[in-house]
Amino acid sequence: MIRTEGLTKQYGRITAVDGIDLDVREGDVYGFLGANGSGKTTTVRMLLGLVLATSGSIEVLGRPMPASGRDVLPQVGSMVEGPAAYPQLSGRTNLALVDASGPGGGRRTRAGRIDDALARVGLDGVDKRPVRAYSLGMRQRLGLAAALLRTPRLLVLDEPTNGLDPQGIREIRQLLLDLNAAGTTVFLSSHLLAEIEQMCTRVGVLDRGRLVLQDELADLQRPTGRMVVRTPDVAAVRGLFNGQVESQDGDRLWIRVDDPAALNARLVGAGIRVAELAPEKRTLEEIVLEAATTSGDRR
Amino acid sequence: MTRTRRWAVVAVGVLLVVGVPVAIRAIPPSDSDVGAGELLAAVAGSEDHPWSGYVETEGALDLPVEDDFSDVGSLFGESTRMRAWWRGDDDWRVDRLLVAGETDLVHHSGLTIEWSYEGDRARLSRDPDIRLPRTADLVPPVLAERLLRDVDAGDVVRIEARRVAGVDAPGLRLEPTAPQASVDHVDLWADPESGIPLRIEVFAAGEPSPSFTTEFRDFSAATPATAATDFPAAPGIEVDHDDVLDIADAANQYAPLRPPDRVGGLAKSSTSDGAVGVYGVGLTQLIAIPMRDREADPLREQLGQTPGVRHLAAGTAVSAGPLGVLLTGEDGDGGWLLAGTVTETTLVEAAGDLARGTTYLQDDS
Amino acid sequence: MIAVELRKLLLSRRTWVTILLIDALPTLVGVLLAVTDLGPRPGTGPAFLSAVLTDGTLFPLAALAIVLPLFLPIAVAVTAGEAIAGEAQQGTLRYLLVRPVGRTRLLVAKLVGVMVFVVLTVLVVAATAYVVGVVLLGSEDVTTGATSVSGSSLSTQELAGRTMLALAYAMLCMLGVAAIALFLSTVVTTPLAAALGTLGVLVTSTVLLTLDAADVLQPYLPTRYWLSFVDLFRDPILWRDVERGVLLQIVYVVVFLGAAWANFATKDITD
Repeated sequence: MIRTEGLTKQYGRITAVDGIDLDVREGDVYGFLGANGSGKTTTVRMLLGLVLATSGSIEVLGRPMPASGRDVLPQVGSMVEGPAAYPQLSGRTNLALVDASGPGGGRRTRAGRIDDALARVGLDGVDKRPVRAYSLGMRQRLGLAAALLRTPRLLVLDEPTNGLDPQGIREIRQLLLDLNAAGTTVFLSSHLLAEIEQMCTRVGVLDRGRLVLQDELADLQRPTGRMVVRTPDVAAVRGLFNGQVESQDGDRLWIRVDDPAALNARLVGAGIRVAELAPEKRTLEEIVLEAATTSGDRR
Repeated sequence: MTRTRRWAVVAVGVLLVVGVPVAIRAIPPSDSDVGAGELLAAVAGSEDHPWSGYVETEGALDLPVEDDFSDVGSLFGESTRMRAWWRGDDDWRVDRLLVAGETDLVHHSGLTIEWSYEGDRARLSRDPDIRLPRTADLVPPVLAERLLRDVDAGDVVRIEARRVAGVDAPGLRLEPTAPQASVDHVDLWADPESGIPLRIEVFAAGEPSPSFTTEFRDFSAATPATAATDFPAAPGIEVDHDDVLDIADAANQYAPLRPPDRVGGLAKSSTSDGAVGVYGVGLTQLIAIPMRDREADPLREQLGQTPGVRHLAAGTAVSAGPLGVLLTGEDGDGGWLLAGTVTETTLVEAAGDLARGTTYLQDDS
Repeated sequence: MIAVELRKLLLSRRTWVTILLIDALPTLVGVLLAVTDLGPRPGTGPAFLSAVLTDGTLFPLAALAIVLPLFLPIAVAVTAGEAIAGEAQQGTLRYLLVRPVGRTRLLVAKLVGVMVFVVLTVLVVAATAYVVGVVLLGSEDVTTGATSVSGSSLSTQELAGRTMLALAYAMLCMLGVAAIALFLSTVVTTPLAAALGTLGVLVTSTVLLTLDAADVLQPYLPTRYWLSFVDLFRDPILWRDVERGVLLQIVYVVVFLGAAWANFATKDITD
């Protein structure tokens, strides 16, 4: 759905995005992670043709961007750096203007489209208040509604849950998952690890303009082949698995074994008191920090 | 298209828009091989030729005069836009165009109507023998007629042609021979077809740029329609009759005196038979207007405040380009106002001649 | 897109407040003239104002002469300066562009929007002034028409036709202003800067027009022929300056729209 090669953007002598090769596949919920200022927004803007790349190529929906923007963008819904609307107009009027300003879709079906989009984001009860009077969360929902207005094949969303309360975040998350289940590819850029971890199937990590990691989340979080054992009998375990204990932190031991069940049996057989026994699984935070550190060391 | 390409397109467009007119103007005008005498004869022969057009004058002669003379001051000191239709000396119309109105002179059978839009009035007057200069005197054909009077082929040389109002006009330079003259030279360009002068530049001695320029910006040598020189007053406009046109006309008619026949070595013109004396001819001319104290005093005050004013024994003198002005007498006195394109020496000499040679018709007033 | 722009324009309360404010000045002048019966001295004040006292049907022209040098250009500069920079500041520009709206089309739609604003303003001013003029200042006999600047009489049809021409001419002059403001609006980041920049250009032009040393430049200055609509009321009509004014404004519109296009078509939208 999105594929870039050597995508680079320089502002004067500053390189904001440095040769990244994105690969977002159909059906993905792709989490695009990075600290503020890492080049996330610039990349998203380049994908949408708002900012022109200094070098490299972009393909969205299999067509080159920004050259094919006229054909590609109608099938892409997006929210970039927060929602925006004409403050003096109502949400409904704003959506009508958005709908009318671009190609496709008749005037007659417009009201229906707007009602659908508003209902999806939970704004169906909205009155004629001008957007000026909306709360941050309502604006965010309106922005999402605008992105959904054309039932896009690809959603490109930048921090979509910003300003929402926990209940709202849950709703939006569920909405995106539903959309994804119905076939919409979602490209989600965020600096919130938890959000990405909860929703995404694939992850790309951007650090200081470089894509330092890009993989299936499931692969990244695959068991590492080590077991974590928490026990008061540290010395006994060390004696039992001499050479296999790779590290220790207080009463925790990391032991490399091929068969967790056999490990358990040996511990039980040796009468060792085990408080906790689990396969080691890295959190996304650890993965991201590690990737960022290594990329930082590379420089 | 890349950014650079687009800007290049815009730049080329701007260059074309700005450059093409400049380039066209830069093409040198084609000169004709007409001789000075021949051209002078053609110009002289064009005096009865009808014409019409749009004229701009540019004066650098800053005359410190207001009130009675304000029009004269702006005519010689500012730029004036006019359009004119000329069917003949006795059938013409000259509109002075103002930003928010106009002042028109319409002349028929010895009578001139002056219409002022902003004043919302029309004044009818017979054309007096003596009067102050007005717009219609400054259109190139009329001014040339005055300047070239008594000039013969020996006094002129050819100069390079110049494009005026789209016409490649051969040029003529005239240098006055009279010792009294303050004008250094006059350049004139004329329509090669009709001989009608299209542009005139008057230079004072030692000045690199002309003190006064008048030229056509649009010109046609075709006879204008009769309607063009009409004044079809709209209903509601009342036409006043003026017995006296201006201060020169008033003095000429009513001042009880006659100036001498010759001042400063210049002979009195035949048109001058009243109290105002016009002396000399062509480029070297001088007018002497007698003034009462209530007219002379404010004028003397104005002249006194002019930069470069000189208080001579003969009176208060200022000069602007080739134009010299001298007002005789002291505060509380009347006096002679002398003005003309003559040297200051000539003005002083003329003042002396006037003081000695004026005859009074009645008792001193 | 043009329809969307027009809807935005007409839905905006500011549009109507601006038009109302512009309209207020000539109306105030008209009322004052009617109450005091004091016209400006000949040769001073805006064109036609002295003639209005005798003929109220000329008041639309006087009103035009009152608002054209200052009020109208300010309003146009503000409205057109808003075009791109305002959308960018509001954040709505990026959503328009990804909708997608072609950038050139957006520029054209914006220009059309500003133009409609100008037409609307001029027509409202002219219509109000006509009513004020006829009701408060009275009109001459309808059959005789009015007096031209050259002193001849204009029939009512002639007056109406020439007034329409003058209004159209004023609109074209404002289109030139709009093009400059639109270009600046693609360059700077705030609408205020675009409006001020445009006014800067106009003030510079006005100042240079009074300066003899700038003689060579004067035929190219944007405000040079603005008041030439007066020439339409001379008899016969003096087309010279009006023609030049029309040409000049067209050149300004083409050049600055071209520049706006050149700048905007691949500009990075980062706000």
